[in-house]
Amino acid sequence: MINKREEILKQATRYRWEIGENLHDSILESIYSEAANIAKVVVTRDNEKRKFDWDRWIDKLVTGKWTGFPIMFLLLAVVFWLTISGANVPSALLASLLVDTIHPILKSGAEYLYFPWWLSGVLIDGAYLALAWVISVMLPPMAIFFPLFTLLEDFGYLPRVAFNMDNLYKRVGAHGKQALTMSMGFGCNAAGVIAARIIDSPRERLIAIITNNFSLCNGRWPTQILIATIFIGGAVHPMLAGFTSAAAVMSVAVLGVFFSLIVSWLLSKSVLKGEASAFSLELPPYRPPRFLQTLYTSLIDRTLMVLWRAVVFAAPAGIAIWLVSNITIADITLAEYFVKNVNPYAAIIGLNGVIILAYIIAVPANEIVIPTVLMLTALTSNIAGFGSGAGVMFEMDSLSDTEMLLRSGGWTLLTGINLMLFSLLHNPCSTTIYTIYKETKSLKWTLISTFLPIAMGIVICFFVAQFWRLLV
Amino acid sequence: MPKRGIIARIKKIKSDEDKIAVEDALKHLYDCEFKKLDCSLNSLTGNLGLKPNQIAQVISKLESMSLVTLFNGKINLTEHGRDYATRVVRIHRLWERYLAENTSVSENEWHVIAEEREHETTDEVAEWLSARLGNPLVDPHGDPIPNKSGEILSKDGVTLNNLGEEKYARIIHIEDEPKEVYAQLTAFGLYPGMQIKILENTKDKVRFLADGHECLLAPVLAANLTVQEIDKKEIVTENFDNLTALEIDEVATVVGISNAMRGQQRRRMLDFGIVPGTTIYTRLKSLKGDPSAYEVRGALIALRKNQSDLIHIKKLKAS
Amino acid sequence: MTVSSNCVNCPAHNSANLVRLGIDMSNFDYVVALAGNPNTGKSTVFNSLTGLRQHTGNWPGKTVGRAEGAFQYNEKRYKIVDLPGTYSLLSTSTDEEIARDFILFGQPDVTIIVVDASRLERNLNLTLQVLEITDRAVLCLNLIDEAKRHHITIDDRLLSKKLGIPVIPATARQNVGIPELIKAVHSVASGEYICNPYKMKSQIKNVSHAVDDLEQKLKTEFPNLANTRWIALRLLEGDQRVTDAVKSSEIGNLTPAETENA
Repeated sequence: MINKREEILKQATRYRWEIGENLHDSILESIYSEAANIAKVVVTRDNEKRKFDWDRWIDKLVTGKWTGFPIMFLLLAVVFWLTISGANVPSALLASLLVDTIHPILKSGAEYLYFPWWLSGVLIDGAYLALAWVISVMLPPMAIFFPLFTLLEDFGYLPRVAFNMDNLYKRVGAHGKQALTMSMGFGCNAAGVIAARIIDSPRERLIAIITNNFSLCNGRWPTQILIATIFIGGAVHPMLAGFTSAAAVMSVAVLGVFFSLIVSWLLSKSVLKGEASAFSLELPPYRPPRFLQTLYTSLIDRTLMVLWRAVVFAAPAGIAIWLVSNITIADITLAEYFVKNVNPYAAIIGLNGVIILAYIIAVPANEIVIPTVLMLTALTSNIAGFGSGAGVMFEMDSLSDTEMLLRSGGWTLLTGINLMLFSLLHNPCSTTIYTIYKETKSLKWTLISTFLPIAMGIVICFFVAQFWRLLV
Repeated sequence: MPKRGIIARIKKIKSDEDKIAVEDALKHLYDCEFKKLDCSLNSLTGNLGLKPNQIAQVISKLESMSLVTLFNGKINLTEHGRDYATRVVRIHRLWERYLAENTSVSENEWHVIAEEREHETTDEVAEWLSARLGNPLVDPHGDPIPNKSGEILSKDGVTLNNLGEEKYARIIHIEDEPKEVYAQLTAFGLYPGMQIKILENTKDKVRFLADGHECLLAPVLAANLTVQEIDKKEIVTENFDNLTALEIDEVATVVGISNAMRGQQRRRMLDFGIVPGTTIYTRLKSLKGDPSAYEVRGALIALRKNQSDLIHIKKLKAS
Repeated sequence: MTVSSNCVNCPAHNSANLVRLGIDMSNFDYVVALAGNPNTGKSTVFNSLTGLRQHTGNWPGKTVGRAEGAFQYNEKRYKIVDLPGTYSLLSTSTDEEIARDFILFGQPDVTIIVVDASRLERNLNLTLQVLEITDRAVLCLNLIDEAKRHHITIDDRLLSKKLGIPVIPATARQNVGIPELIKAVHSVASGEYICNPYKMKSQIKNVSHAVDDLEQKLKTEFPNLANTRWIALRLLEGDQRVTDAVKSSEIGNLTPAETENA
C-alpha cells in the first residue's frame, strides 16, 4: 500500500519535471476561460440604459491631479475638527460627573468606612482618578473619530487614499497601504499597529508598525491643543490666536507624517534593507455606508477595545503618581526630589523636570500627561491655591488659570513648543508597545519602536532649544 | 548511515570559517562535475579566493574525511562528497528562489545572501522553505534544484510528443537507443541545439518546423527527442506593449505576464483575472502615473509601475 | 423587489423556523462554510445569518483566522465558519490555505459561496475552484441591488443549471434573499437537493496526459475519492499539504459528500 502511494507521488514528481513550472498560469487561464463562457450566457448588460457612472466620476475627483490631495486634507481636517470640537462638551460632562461628583462621594465614603489616608489616597486619588481622566478625555473623541473613520472606510474612500499616497511611500521603500495604517494611528496608535496586518510583505509591515507612532494619536491631541492655545495663540495678536494655534496643531500632525516618511526611508536604507515591493490593491466600488450599523460596530470593535486596554494600564499609573508625590525622604517627596535633580538636564533640551517625570509616569496612557503636569507643577513650585493636594490630578476650568500656573512654574514659549514636539516624538504608550510586541513577536523590534522616537525627540528638542537660545 | 556521519562530522568542524571553506569547495567541485569540467587546484583557488596554502589545508581536510579523491592533480568528489554538495546546492537554490519570490531583495543580492545562508540552514528549515514555495523545481536562474533525496535532473526538458501546439523549443537531447530510431531521427537532420516550432501534435503524429523544414514523426519516435521550451521572444520579437503604455480609457488585450514577475506577485495577478486574452482598461493614474488603476473583469485594480511594466498587452481600438 | 413583499412571500421568513444563535455553537447538526472574494459582502451575509455584528474592512488579510457563528432552522442547528475572503484557493498565502484546508479537510456539509453579482465572471474563478473540491455548495448572488443599479441582470436559474447548485439572488444588507439562502442551505444539507456541481472540462495545455495518468492511479488507490482530477493537479503543482495527505492516505478517508448522510 505504502509503495503504491509513494509510486503515485514519484510519478507526479517525474511529470512535474516534464511539465515545468507554468502549470499554475495554465490552470488559471483555463478556469477564467470557462468562467467567461458561463458568464457570457447568464449575464446581460444593458448599456443603453447606463446613464452616468457615478463611481468613475467620484474616482476621477478623489484621485485627480489637482483635486486628490486637497480633498484628502480637507476630509482629514473635517474629521479632526468634528472630533476636537464635538468631544469638548461630552468630555467636560464626563469629567464633571466622574471627577467633580463621584470622586468626592468616594472620598467621603472612604472616610466613613475609616479607610487609612494612604489607602484612600492610593485607590481613590490614585487609581480612580487616573481612570476617570482617561475615560473622560479619551472616550468622547474616540467615539466620534472611529465611527467617522469607519464611514469613510465603508464608503470605499480609504483605498483611494492609499492609491494617492502610494507614490510617496514607494519612494521611501514602503507600502501604499501604510497611508491607511498611518490614518488609523491618528485615532489610536495601537489600532494603527493592528491595522498593519493588511500589508503582506513582512519588511514593509514592520516599517508601518515602527513608524505608526509618528501619527499623532487622540491621546495627544488634547496636549497639543492646550499648549498651542496658551503659548502659541498667546504669542500673537488675539485676533489671530485661534487660527494660529489651530495651524500649529495641524503642522505638528503634518510634521509627524513627514517624520514617518523619513524614518521609513532610513529603515529601508539600513536595518530593513530592501526595495519597495509590489502594490496590488483592489479599489472597491463605492457603497453607501450604513450609519447605525457603523456606529454600533465601530463603538464595540474599536472604541471599547482600545479604551479597555488604556484603562487597564491607567490604573497602575494613577497609583504611581500618587505614590511619588506622597512618599517623602527627609520631608521632600520623591517627585520634588526627581524634578529638582532633573531640571538642569531637562533645560538642555528646552523642557523641565516636571514634563520628564510626567512622561515617565504617563507611559501607560498619553491622556494623563496634562493632568499630571499640572499637578506636579503645583506641587513642586509650591503654589498655593491650585489643585486638591499632593498626588491628586486636576485640570483647570479656565485657560488663564492654567497659563498662570504654568508660567509661574517657569514655562516659556520654548517650553511650550518643545512640549508639543516631545509629545509627537516620544515613546509609544504602553498599550501600543504591548500591541507592537504581540504583532511582531520580537523584542528587538519592540525596543526599536519604543526608543527610536524618544531618541529623535531628545535630539530635535535639543537643537530647537539651542537655536532658540542663540536667536532669542 | 554514512551520509549522516559525514554531515555530523562536517558540522563538528570547529571554526565557521573552515566549515564555509569546506562547503564552498565541495560546491565548486560539484559544479565542475555537473558541467563535466575537470577541477584543478588552480580553479578551486580562483573560485574560493583563498591562498594556495589555505587551499591545500582545505583539500587535505576534504580528503581526510573521504569527501574527495586526488588523482593526477585532478580532484574528484566521492559518493559522500557528492551527497553533501547536493545538499548545500539545494539549500542555496531554495534560498535564491525564496528571496526572488517572497521578499523585495534586489536581484543582484539573491546569490550573495543565499551564499551566506546556505551554511547555516538546517534540514528542517530547508524542507519548510521548499514546502512553502510549492516544492519548486528550478531556481530563479533556471538551474534545477535537487530534491530532498539528492536527485537532480540534468536536463530539464520535455519529450517532443508532450510539447503543445504552437510552442517554440530547442532540442537538448536525442536518445541514441535503440539504434534504428536514432538513425531515423538523425536522417531528418535533427541536432541538439536546433530550434523548432510545433505545428500539430495529436495521438497519431507530431508535425513541426525544424530550421524551416517541416518534419513529421510518429509520437513513439518523438518521445525520443528531449526539447526545452523557449520563449517566443527568443526567436521572434513580436510587437507588444506593456500595460504602463496604456493611456487613460484606452483598452487592450493581455498577451502575457513576463517571467520576471514571480511567486506571490504573479499569482496575485492571475487571481485578479489578468491572464492572456483578458480585456483591460486604464482608468486612473495617480499624480505621477505610479500607481495606476486598471479595470479588469469589472474590478478596479491598482498596480505600481514596476508591475504594469511586466504585463504585456496589445492595444485595441476603443469600441 | 422590496423587503416586505419578499418576506411575506417567503416560507422561511417565520420566526418559528429561524433562530439566530449568535456564537452559541453547541450541539450543531451541520457545518456550513462561508467562502467568497473580498468585497462581496461576505461578512454581511455572515452577520445576517447569525445575528452577529462582525465588522471587517475592505481589504484582504484584515480578518486573520476565521469567525464562527450559528443559527437554527427547522429544528436543525447549523454552525457557520466564515472563511477569510480570497480570490482563489490555489495560491500560497495563509488566508487561502486556511480556506482551502477547511473546505477540503474540514468537510463542511454545505459551502456557501458569496459572489458579487455585478462582477460575476471574476467571482466565478473562486466558485469553480470550490466546486472542484466539494460537491455540496450554494451560490449566494449578493449585491443584486448594486448590479441592478449598473443595469446588469443575471439569469439565476440558468446559472443554477450550469453550476449544478442552488443559486440565490440576495441583498444581504437589507436581509433580502437571506431566508431563501437558509432554505437552500437546509435542502442541500439534508440531502433534499442533490448537487451536480460543474466540473472543469477544458484540457489544460500540455498536461492532459499526466493528469489522466495520475487520476487513474489515484482512483485505483483511493476508490472513494471524488475529486481525483483536482488532487492530481495539486500534486503536479507541488502542493505540500496535499502531497502529505496522499502519502498518509488521509485523502482517502475524506468521505465523499453524497454518501455521508445516506
